Amino acid sequence: MRKKEWKLIVTFHTTADAIAFEKSCKESNKDGRMIPVPRELSAGCGLAWCAVPEVKEELERFSAEKGLSYEEMTELFY
Amino acid sequence: MNLAANKKTLAASGAVLGLIAALLAYTGNPKNMAICVACFIRDISGAVKLHTTGTVQYMRPEIVGFVCGAFLIALITKEYRSTAGSSPMIRFLLGVIMMIGSLVFLGCPLRMVIRMSAGDLNAYVALIGFVGGVYTGTLALKHGFSLGRAYPAEKASGYILPAVLVILLVLSVTTTLFAFSESGPGSMHAPVLLALGGGLVFGAIAQRTRTCFAGSIRDVLLMQNFDLISIIGGFFAVMLVFNLATGGFKLSFAGQPVAHSQHLWNFLGMYAVGFAAVLAGGCPLRQLILAGQGSSDSAVTFLGLLVGAAFCHNFGLAGAAAAAATADTPAVAGGPGINGQVALIASIVILFVIGFSPKNRKN
Repeated sequence: MRKKEWKLIVTFHTTADAIAFEKSCKESNKDGRMIPVPRELSAGCGLAWCAVPEVKEELERFSAEKGLSYEEMTELFY
Repeated sequence: MNLAANKKTLAASGAVLGLIAALLAYTGNPKNMAICVACFIRDISGAVKLHTTGTVQYMRPEIVGFVCGAFLIALITKEYRSTAGSSPMIRFLLGVIMMIGSLVFLGCPLRMVIRMSAGDLNAYVALIGFVGGVYTGTLALKHGFSLGRAYPAEKASGYILPAVLVILLVLSVTTTLFAFSESGPGSMHAPVLLALGGGLVFGAIAQRTRTCFAGSIRDVLLMQNFDLISIIGGFFAVMLVFNLATGGFKLSFAGQPVAHSQHLWNFLGMYAVGFAAVLAGGCPLRQLILAGQGSSDSAVTFLGLLVGAAFCHNFGLAGAAAAAATADTPAVAGGPGINGQVALIASIVILFVIGFSPKNRKN
């Protein structure tokens, strides 16, 4: 079973926002991966970006630079 | 208890959903229909006389239970969010298309799995189509398809569909306003309270676990994530045991109840359902659950499914079940007639226009 640890979870209003976010992160070699939205955060069945908590500010800046939309960045024991 | 804690609890939740479906099939629902969302919405459409096909008219309590079960558990767990505004008319159209595809195949993704568990090889052909449709939908997502975000709406907006369904159910058992089939699948049903109770528990579990047939395959294709598909695995396993135990298992293409072996149309029917479900953000079951937890957009998709069912029967779009020859009648191959074939092809073209149109691309 996967070991739980603190993660940064980025949620999105639409699946298109999530996929655009993933595409930009991969193009810029940002660490992280796409996951289903953790059930603790949303009753939807959409997608979320999962990364280590330390990159929160970096991802906020990156999103602003690239014009990427997201709903929330939350730290979660996941 | 957290039903979604890991794959084991998700598979166990799927098994409970399977037990409910098996119980309802055992107590009166059509055996390999059990708890089919498309079939049951079609029956409701007939019960309120949107169509007049005499064999498929019954106000199915299970559908009321799905929506209200999700609604109640979402209120209890504070997950209820009234939202709206994400391209409602496109969602209505996607609901119509999901119903056309389902009724050409003769079942939604839920019934497809039930039919698979009964050994119906036609359902495995449909599964290939369904996976292909979901894959095409994920390609549209990767190309930037979006129906736009939903916005918070008046809290009461999300109460409307559960309330209307409850009122319709009460009217159906206390008045003679509704049509009831005297023969055919619509005449076969579990006791009302059992069907409602089963639907409520099914809806609540589906809400807690985010059960979605299209989403489960989408997650495998996009992220190699097997959480959601664990639920379907548990559901399939229980239905397989039920069918083996009750003599309902028969591994064949021919002789399956309420089914046909027109492979191309079984494939394309579920292809359209899978494709439309990814664009709409969930299969027919998931749309009911999302509507229950407050999404007016999904409630509109439900209306599309309801009206789509009426179109299917009023305009001869639904597939016919195959039938063996009798002393008086020749064998019937079944499948969709020319109207259904044209409507399904047109639906798939529309899905490509919606999914890959530059206007719907965000990036």
